[in-house]
Amino acid sequence: MSSLNPIQLEVMWNRLLSVANEQQVALMRTAFSTIVRESQDLACGVFDTRGFMIAQSLTGTPGHINPMATGAKHFLHAYPPETLRPGDVLVTNDPWMTAGQVNDFTVMTPVFRGQTIVGYFANCCHAPDIGGRVLSAEAREVYEEGLRVPIMKLFDRGEPNHELLKIVRANVRTPDETVGDLYAQTSCNAVGARSLLQMMDEFNLESIDPLADEIISRSERAMRDGIRQLPNGRYSHEVWSDGFEEPIRICVTVTIADADIYIDFAGSSPQSSRGINVVMNYTHGYASFAMKAAVSPEVPHNEGAFRPVHVTAPAGSILNCKEPAAVASRHLIGHFLPSAIFGALAPALPGKLMAGSADPIWLNIYRGTWPQTGKPSQVTVFLVGGTGGRAVKDGLNTTGFPSGVAGVPAEVIETLAPVVQMQRTLRTDSGGAGQFRGGLGQATQMRSRGADQWSVSPMVDRTQFVAQGLEGGQPGALGEFKINGESRQPKMVYWMEPDTTVDLNPPGGGGYGAPGQRDPQAVLADVVNGYVSIEGAARDYGVVIRFTGELDSLVRLPEHYAVDAAATQELRSTFE
Amino acid sequence: MTKPPEPSPHYRVGVDIGGTFTDLIVVDPQTGHFAIGKVLTTPAAPSAAVEAVLLDTLTPNGMTTGQVQHLIHGTTLVTNAMIERKGARTALLTTQGFRDSIEIGRENRYDLYDLMLEQPRPLVPRHLRFDVPQRTLATGETLVELDEAHVARLAQELAANGLEAVAVVFLHSFTNPAAERAARDVIGRVAPSLRVSLSSDVAPEIREFERASTTIANVYVQELVETYLHGLEERLRRLGFTGSFFLMLSSGGIATVETASRFPVRLLESGPAAGALAATAYGNAAGYRNLLSFDMGGTTAKLCVISDGQPLIAHDFEVDRVYRFKKGSGLPIKMPVIELIEIGAGGGSIARVDALGLLKVGPDSAGADPGPVCYGNGGAEPTVTDANLILGYLDPAYFLGGRMALDLEGARRAVKQKIADPLGLSIEEAAWGIYQIVSETMSNAARVHALERGKDPRRFPLFAFGGAGPMHAYRLALSLGSPALLAPLGAGVMSTVGFLSAPLSFDFVRSWPSQLGQMDWAQANALLAEMEGEGQALLQASGVPATQITHRRAADMRYVGQGHEIPVPLPDGPLHADLALQLLAEFERVYQELYERLGPPVPVEVLNWRVVSSGPQPELRLQTAINTNDESSTDANASVSTARKGERQAYFPECNGYTNTPIYDRYRLAPGATFNGPAIVEERESTVIVGPGANCRIDEQLNLVVEMN
Repeated sequence: MSSLNPIQLEVMWNRLLSVANEQQVALMRTAFSTIVRESQDLACGVFDTRGFMIAQSLTGTPGHINPMATGAKHFLHAYPPETLRPGDVLVTNDPWMTAGQVNDFTVMTPVFRGQTIVGYFANCCHAPDIGGRVLSAEAREVYEEGLRVPIMKLFDRGEPNHELLKIVRANVRTPDETVGDLYAQTSCNAVGARSLLQMMDEFNLESIDPLADEIISRSERAMRDGIRQLPNGRYSHEVWSDGFEEPIRICVTVTIADADIYIDFAGSSPQSSRGINVVMNYTHGYASFAMKAAVSPEVPHNEGAFRPVHVTAPAGSILNCKEPAAVASRHLIGHFLPSAIFGALAPALPGKLMAGSADPIWLNIYRGTWPQTGKPSQVTVFLVGGTGGRAVKDGLNTTGFPSGVAGVPAEVIETLAPVVQMQRTLRTDSGGAGQFRGGLGQATQMRSRGADQWSVSPMVDRTQFVAQGLEGGQPGALGEFKINGESRQPKMVYWMEPDTTVDLNPPGGGGYGAPGQRDPQAVLADVVNGYVSIEGAARDYGVVIRFTGELDSLVRLPEHYAVDAAATQELRSTFE
Repeated sequence: MTKPPEPSPHYRVGVDIGGTFTDLIVVDPQTGHFAIGKVLTTPAAPSAAVEAVLLDTLTPNGMTTGQVQHLIHGTTLVTNAMIERKGARTALLTTQGFRDSIEIGRENRYDLYDLMLEQPRPLVPRHLRFDVPQRTLATGETLVELDEAHVARLAQELAANGLEAVAVVFLHSFTNPAAERAARDVIGRVAPSLRVSLSSDVAPEIREFERASTTIANVYVQELVETYLHGLEERLRRLGFTGSFFLMLSSGGIATVETASRFPVRLLESGPAAGALAATAYGNAAGYRNLLSFDMGGTTAKLCVISDGQPLIAHDFEVDRVYRFKKGSGLPIKMPVIELIEIGAGGGSIARVDALGLLKVGPDSAGADPGPVCYGNGGAEPTVTDANLILGYLDPAYFLGGRMALDLEGARRAVKQKIADPLGLSIEEAAWGIYQIVSETMSNAARVHALERGKDPRRFPLFAFGGAGPMHAYRLALSLGSPALLAPLGAGVMSTVGFLSAPLSFDFVRSWPSQLGQMDWAQANALLAEMEGEGQALLQASGVPATQITHRRAADMRYVGQGHEIPVPLPDGPLHADLALQLLAEFERVYQELYERLGPPVPVEVLNWRVVSSGPQPELRLQTAINTNDESSTDANASVSTARKGERQAYFPECNGYTNTPIYDRYRLAPGATFNGPAIVEERESTVIVGPGANCRIDEQLNLVVEMN
């Protein structure tokens, strides 16, 4: 489309982004599960006739966005355009084709203008339950993890595929929610299609492919321009995950070669015997997310942003697992990738990246029975820790990175399941010390109010390996998972007596810059607010702070604390 | 000698305290005559400006304060106090273990890729947030009793340390408020100087983070608001005012001083709400009960969906955003509010070429100083107004009715240098690009917003006002697929009119979930009747005759298991089982229209029952006074030729560039006049641009109406 000037392009490009956001709004408003409507564990996107993603919705989570984009090509391969009719809707949850676990359903809808397909809409979101073992890391094969739906029709010429829906209903613990969300996913694409067709009429477009070419090539060029700013070279880094039976090593080498980036995970651990394995789609998703955030956060995300980023991992490794590996808790490994890549790239992008973050989101599932009715209950809770310090500011307390998923309020959790959250509070001293402190993790405790046994599937990580600091910053505190006060293996399902307590304390982010460089007044403010203890201030920052108020007072104001300048000077002189 | 008796008080007054100006309108409802006043706001003592503008406006028109029956007031004081962090020294008491809820927040990032993101800063810092031994369960049962001795000790210490206000937010207090109330009683006993707000009073809704944020905001601004309102009441009394004094709420309703002082958080955003109410009133008068109101000024554009004669109400919003236009970056407030979206798009929005070689417009703005390049005040960045001038939409000699000359050459130079040359376009193409992109930014935001509220923008005529609104409305309407465009006469006074256009009204809602197929209709009827009864009593107490009271009923419905409802209107009269199928069909119709497909085969339920009880819609016939048409020529067709004051070259892509475009004097167009686009219709503070081929007419209310096909 040589006639497409920059202004028409900008107008139509923005329109496509707005169409993707309309999709997301429709999905959240029609969804049944809290995972979609409260936590926004989802992604929506617009695709051209070749299956290239050209626009995605504003929020969502990288683990869905990019694998959904890769998955589109599998859909097109399974159902070439000539096999599709108006009203058809396709679905799959195959981990290797899309988002790496059977809980994530991707729904793709061709858009017909007359009898011609002019594009596709897809969305991906996390089903509240998909049968099998409940979502955990315990399985040894993918077959144990629930129902697997190959690419097939969810709707055929507008009619629901009742046979498929009957099978889904019979296999899951939450049939109304799981099937209800599939309907919501269908509406979501239909709303997108309506707006795309309106746009094509308005701008008199026969095809969106020329527009797609322009969007993709410009995005690719911008991404490449960003990469060219980096010095050529090879940069390596490694991080460790708790793993299941043994720690997992994630090893990354980033090679910058002019306008291309090669990210290779050779040297990482082999695939695990348990459900923490990552499919290549998902590895690619988080690796390319990291590059985009580091190099060109302002460029809209689409096929063009993927092209300069080449991701490889040895087949059979933890980051490119082979069937029938168990994969349900793949996020526990996959969420480490951005921090690993930032660690490698830190020398190439001084001042631009953040220190290590808590990384994997903590996804906990509680099951039990309602005391009055005896009916089963199941609720999914997300928890996050702190993010890493930045070159000019502290990290963020209890904010997810790299996932974009939101938490669930205690009051909502307690309405959906017979549990009581006893606390949800910031963890003092959990942020890594630094000139700019890491964000704080949190401390949470859950109890049951049922009379029967109840279970937790914690699915957590970073209980053995800290979030690293950057430029002399100190690491953040480890995460903790305890049952009745005792640390336990963090990836198994536990059935417990009613009076048991479960503590889940996500980790803190790493600090940025040497702690001795932190302004003593900033340390004082941290002590006043309990982000850092008086002991921590002396130990980690070399800042001596005196509490001058009444020892038994509950109310302690800034004027009740003071920096002891002389003692601080002396103590700091012992810091290197 | 006896003085003639004073006429009984009957004037109605609306007063708006804005950041820069305090505006007033006074209307004689019997004749439709009105007067307008404007003075500079006096931030140190805002009620001084109210007194000044009241006297300035009434006295020259031979009116007295004693003749005013209703005074309705809106103010940005509350919003400003929060943004500037000038409220009371406030502490927070929470259930043991939850003092950090307001900081932990939603735990997600509102921008996925920004590594330098910042989260909003809570109004209460952590050292003023206290856990209190206490626990209520979701069922309302008590797990741990409130430790009253601990509360007493805390309250004494807080007071002794100079704290002024306390928010009390216990988990599940919206189900069982007993513990919060007990805490309030203890605080009142040992530290009566502390103001207390309970979350179960201020925002009795599920979700502890949002409820706490709202409760804190309420008590944070309470003293400020109370002092101000009582001072103003006192001042008004001194001036001889004996009528009723009401406050405009963010929801568009009005309340007494007593209610406003207890729940000052409800006054947030009441100024912009008035603009939307004014649009509602004009729309209703012209027979349009569904509208998308579009107010575009120098820095921002505001859009509001008006549905079935009412602006849409949201039940939450955000204050003090880290990034003004980014949702998620502000402090959440759970409170009914007329739902407006604000977009960083105005006449002053700056155009630039970005790293991808694409043209971007806004959200940064040249503001009033230096302003657009064409103002000649030293502005160097090309803006939307500069583009409008180049395109011929603005007349360099008739800006603000000719009071300010515009520098066309300067505008062309800036657009050439900063936009056209880098993109390899002509100046005209670049200017058209700026115009088109700013219009598209607004239409995209409007489309997503409408859908988010379950509304199809293709069903809503666009109602354009504000200095820049009418100039961009035609393209916006095209892009949204709007059925029509309305541009009222006298867009500049629209906001104050809003204060007087709201009927006295009260909203009621009862949560009583029940499936349609298993409904206890007697109970449903009883709930509706109860709400209607309350509304009836409150309105009659406010002086509305019983015969003029109306009630509108609706049910919030969804498929069982969903988390969001859609409102479905209910028929008048008693409900019964025979209506269930009709309600289901109505629900399905609305659902399919929004989401293209029906949901899964599961039952449908009603979550909430709603009643809005209203007095009569005040009749406002202001347009007759604004109209300066002295020709007395009411002949519609004759007025078109009288109004046509010339033509100039204006840019329309449909005409492949500049074309000779007729210019009409808005004040001379009579009702019934019809003409075709392209057209430029000028009045003092705004200009309507209509594209080629469009059919325009002037309606009875002197609105310019363009039917879009």
